[in-house]
Amino acid sequence: MTFLQYFRLVDTIARMDLRADAARKGLGYIWWVLEPLLFVLVFYVVFELIMQSGRGDFLGFLMCGKLTFIWFSKSVNQASNSIAANKGLIGRINVTKTLFPLAVIQEGLYRQAAVFLLLLGFLWVRGYPPGLAWFYLVPIMLVNYLMIVACSFVGACLVCVVRDFSMFIALAMTFLMFVSGVFWDARTLGDARTAELVLAFNPLAFIIDAYRQVLLHAAAPDWIHLAQIAVGSALLLLVMVLIMRRSSQFLALRALS
Amino acid sequence: MAAGGREIMLQLEDVSLSYPSRRKSFDHGAHHVLDRVSLQVFEGETLGIIGRNGVGKSTTLRLMAGILAPTSGTVWQRPGKSASLLTIGLGFRPDLSGRDNATLAAMLQGATARQARGFLEEIKEFSELGDSFEEPVKTYSSGMLARLGFTTALKTHVDILLIDEVLSVGDALFREKAEAAMKSRISGDQTVVFVSHMEGQVREVCDRAICLYEGAVLAEGDPAAVLDAYREIR
Repeated sequence: MTFLQYFRLVDTIARMDLRADAARKGLGYIWWVLEPLLFVLVFYVVFELIMQSGRGDFLGFLMCGKLTFIWFSKSVNQASNSIAANKGLIGRINVTKTLFPLAVIQEGLYRQAAVFLLLLGFLWVRGYPPGLAWFYLVPIMLVNYLMIVACSFVGACLVCVVRDFSMFIALAMTFLMFVSGVFWDARTLGDARTAELVLAFNPLAFIIDAYRQVLLHAAAPDWIHLAQIAVGSALLLLVMVLIMRRSSQFLALRALS
Repeated sequence: MAAGGREIMLQLEDVSLSYPSRRKSFDHGAHHVLDRVSLQVFEGETLGIIGRNGVGKSTTLRLMAGILAPTSGTVWQRPGKSASLLTIGLGFRPDLSGRDNATLAAMLQGATARQARGFLEEIKEFSELGDSFEEPVKTYSSGMLARLGFTTALKTHVDILLIDEVLSVGDALFREKAEAAMKSRISGDQTVVFVSHMEGQVREVCDRAICLYEGAVLAEGDPAAVLDAYREIR
């Protein structure tokens, strides 16, 4: 199978699953944006209306954090279960196992495109007009995507080998939501050293902060840090692709047994 | 490699396969599916594999298709030749329509999206699914699933065809039509490995047969003799 055929297959599976998912639900494709908006609403009620965060434009701040975090958490969570979930196909065809998590990620990419459009439109209406700074979003999104693919491949292998990992991964996503500055600002933590550590050692916190810097302050991200995360994610991805190619039959045996 | 003037297409040599199991009844937590199985598949022949349920027939096909790797021993396939496993009832994505599943199956076998679309009307017609072809396969009866699975499998063109019980299910009328289509497919130069429970099918379509018993080869050779051996252990 050529790379082009492989990518077409990934894309075909993703589009078929999106169509089937929309057909299953009464509101169909509306759920692409409704679900993340409902998440934002829940956080807004808790942190702004009940706990009174005291932050100016908390809604814009929250949307930048939550809508980008959901892309990562949902994609990794669902892709992690994808090899185990496709054991029927795996038992029939010797196919590279990266296909299944990548199809789930592709599905998430289509949904996220709609979510990003919604976010940009919302920010524009709220007084953050489009500008040249929005071009900074492109490298940030690319690195975010690389992180998603690398982490999903790790998760998919772990869950395929030991199913219990799916529980740990779901828990890890909740943990990441709390430590990545989704509803608090890493830059305004009381202890400057802690803030520095969070941004330095939690790539997701850095990425979420980078989105906010671009969208709310029209500021460029820290390019060196972004490049470091890109290289780290690319290396992890390369290692995972090699592992998954070499252990394709082992993964099939684990999925089937 | 050649034997009796015919080239070997595929060979299993001392192949064993086991996997870890939590059930304590298995040997030190390992379930041994195959135990030092050796066999050869020659060009253009139809080899039948027969044996009771759970004896390792499907696993043997999965090893031949490269889906699984043996725990020990070697699986050799003639370079440049493709082998494909045709099964039914498994592998469908329940929320997708029959059309989408058929497209996906064809693309997974290496067809381009355009080629896959080209097969669809033929598949729809042969499978006699009518409007149900556009419905999610989770709404299908087992007979409809069998028809879709068989028809999709029939459209695959590979050097070595590995067939797992595809003729054992479905209603009587469709089975007759499917048997005829399958016979015309395997009567030519196609190399086929055929797994079946049905003695009549093995006797009728196979040039050679192998009987598996407790993960090992019990008998090999002329289908009639192998079926006699099978009857004794059944």
